[in-house]
Amino acid sequence: MDFNFQTIIVVLLFVGAVFFIIKKFFIKSSENNNCGSGNCGC
Amino acid sequence: MAKQINVSLIGNPNTGKTSVFNLLTKLNQQVGNYPGITVERKAGVCKLSRGVKAHIIDLPGTYSLNASSLDENVVIEVLLNKNDKDYPDVAVVVSDVENIKRNLLLFTQIKDLDIPTILVINMADQMKRKGITIDIPELEKRLNTKIVLMSARKKQGIEELKKSIEDYKKLSVAPCLDAFEIDPEYFGGLRRAFPKQSLYKLWLVITQDVNFANISRKTISDTSAFQTRKESELKRLQQKETIKRYQFINETLKATQQIDIKNAKGLRASLDRILIHKVWGFAIFFLILLFIFQAIYDWSSYPMDMIDAGFAALSDFFRASLPAGPLTNLLVEGIIPGIGGIVIFIPQIAFLFLFISILEESGYMSRVVFIMDRLMRRFGLSGKSIVPLISGTACAIPAVMATRNIENWKQRLITILVVPFTTCSARLPVYLIIISLVIPKERITWFVGYQSLTLMLLYFIGFGAALISAWLLNKFMKMESKSFFVVEMPNYKIPLFKNVAINVFEKTKAFIAGAGKIILAISIILWVLGSFGPTDKFSNAKEIVTAQYKDQEVDDLDTKISSYRLEHSYMGYMGKAIEPVVRPLGYDWKIGIAIISSFAAREVFVSTLATIYSVGSEEEETIKNRMASEINPVNGKPLFNFATGISLLLFYAFAMQCASTIAIVKKETNGWMWPSVQFVFMSSLAYIAALVAYQFLK
Repeated sequence: MDFNFQTIIVVLLFVGAVFFIIKKFFIKSSENNNCGSGNCGC
Repeated sequence: MAKQINVSLIGNPNTGKTSVFNLLTKLNQQVGNYPGITVERKAGVCKLSRGVKAHIIDLPGTYSLNASSLDENVVIEVLLNKNDKDYPDVAVVVSDVENIKRNLLLFTQIKDLDIPTILVINMADQMKRKGITIDIPELEKRLNTKIVLMSARKKQGIEELKKSIEDYKKLSVAPCLDAFEIDPEYFGGLRRAFPKQSLYKLWLVITQDVNFANISRKTISDTSAFQTRKESELKRLQQKETIKRYQFINETLKATQQIDIKNAKGLRASLDRILIHKVWGFAIFFLILLFIFQAIYDWSSYPMDMIDAGFAALSDFFRASLPAGPLTNLLVEGIIPGIGGIVIFIPQIAFLFLFISILEESGYMSRVVFIMDRLMRRFGLSGKSIVPLISGTACAIPAVMATRNIENWKQRLITILVVPFTTCSARLPVYLIIISLVIPKERITWFVGYQSLTLMLLYFIGFGAALISAWLLNKFMKMESKSFFVVEMPNYKIPLFKNVAINVFEKTKAFIAGAGKIILAISIILWVLGSFGPTDKFSNAKEIVTAQYKDQEVDDLDTKISSYRLEHSYMGYMGKAIEPVVRPLGYDWKIGIAIISSFAAREVFVSTLATIYSVGSEEEETIKNRMASEINPVNGKPLFNFATGISLLLFYAFAMQCASTIAIVKKETNGWMWPSVQFVFMSSLAYIAALVAYQFLK
């Protein structure tokens, strides 16, 4: 695989997305957590 | 020498307090500001008999002494500070006859401040018309005070009020609620630290951060014998206080007030007679629901088609204008289809919120709560459970939090456990796409179609599952329980366009913004997992497939290559690993992956499928077309057929697929036990229902 600009951005986005999901569902459990579904203030 | 009595006029907003003030003071008033703030201070003088004058202060309208605004803070400052020149000798709480329950919360709080308190029931001339009867002597006995029935509009009852003010010394100052009962441990400590002070006043000093008798919040927390608790724990105790007060109020009203709708007159009464009728009430509610679900389908198809086509065109545009490479592919095959998969549902979600807002704003929703209460009780739920169950149609998180006003722990726990069965807005995209694929578009009658009826049935299935589970839990958990439920019926009104529009916009925005972030992240992860593979079979897919078909004429060789590549990607291997579990339900490994990713949030299901079907595909098709053209490799028939569709619908109707709900249940029940029980029960029920449906229908 060529490590050009596009590839580096994709790798960074992937790492960011994995980190985001882990943070969202395995660490956070406060009242204001994000259900993404309407009027829960998220 | 003429004597002066200081009188504070207090009440909820819109109770006619200012009219009572005008009647008492006539034009003898001064309007100014409270020192240092811009809250209006209205004072006036009322001449009583024998040369006695009443100095009357009209305090800002407030719902309780738990201040949340500057206006409300003024009320507490005046009522706590004995050195304030406005400190009352007697307080007059003005309530209106239609909302006595809510008004009594403030009354009980003020009476507990050791101030003689008169209760004025204003708009009493409407009692007969509204079918309300109150046993005044009994209410006076239970509240331990003087009650004056008034009609400020008709100038009735004013002389009796003046007389009661003059005789204020005869009034009892015994509290309605002993603060010690709120939390014996906490208030016991407070009593030991400050034995000479009123417990309730100290409690207000702590929670409202005001000073009284040289005691401030700081002096209380600095007292070594007593430690104030954290802000969140204080909030819990405040909730407990409100619950205890409402228990007292409910018991009092149950014994003294009767509302007989049959004797009421006027438009509101006539409407109520039909809308809360035990047969017509349900029939009308059913028809309204039918109309809403049909409208969701009929009105939103045009904007949905436009959004769908718009996202396909966007993918085309980016592929044509950006340089080829992994980032362009991620954008075109991963992110745009993933986000498009959820944005397409904005019109339908907005229409649902629009109808719910109109029902709430018009005052109809309270009638629904009232008729549902009878049903609720048969299943062991509290009448108060209906509020979380109805708000659960938007989202289970605020619904679980809304259970906090159910004072009985058993009923509260049952409500928390069954609320996630209610069809939340996150289930809507899943239902809508599957219904559009497997249920015919035809209409049964001129205004009802099969698709809208299926959607409504799914809402009923969710609600029914909640009720049956509640009934089972009630049988299973043996605890004695007793509860009261008094619902306040607001007047009917034409919904304000501005309120409805803001509500719809805010809720839809929250749905998209919240879901959008998760969907963006999951789309990126899925695209990467579907675009790279661990073995040579992935990287050499083109050669392998071409070699396989070298002796045959194949039209769709490109599709076969991308399909082979996907099967041998990281995602393909993961999907194949879980396929044996989902195969009996009629699903392939791609649906399996979508189910796994939607354990984070249900709406991710549609976006996941949109991303999976886009990976490696050169054609920018709409999500619905992609799903419709999927073929089951086992029997060669369309993958999304009636049996698979119903199986998926039932799976999503019952499954607990929302990580945030699990988190909030854990928080509200203080442990992992109940969310674990809930997750296992709901997931097992979902699997069994989907399995039975598929095996029976295939």
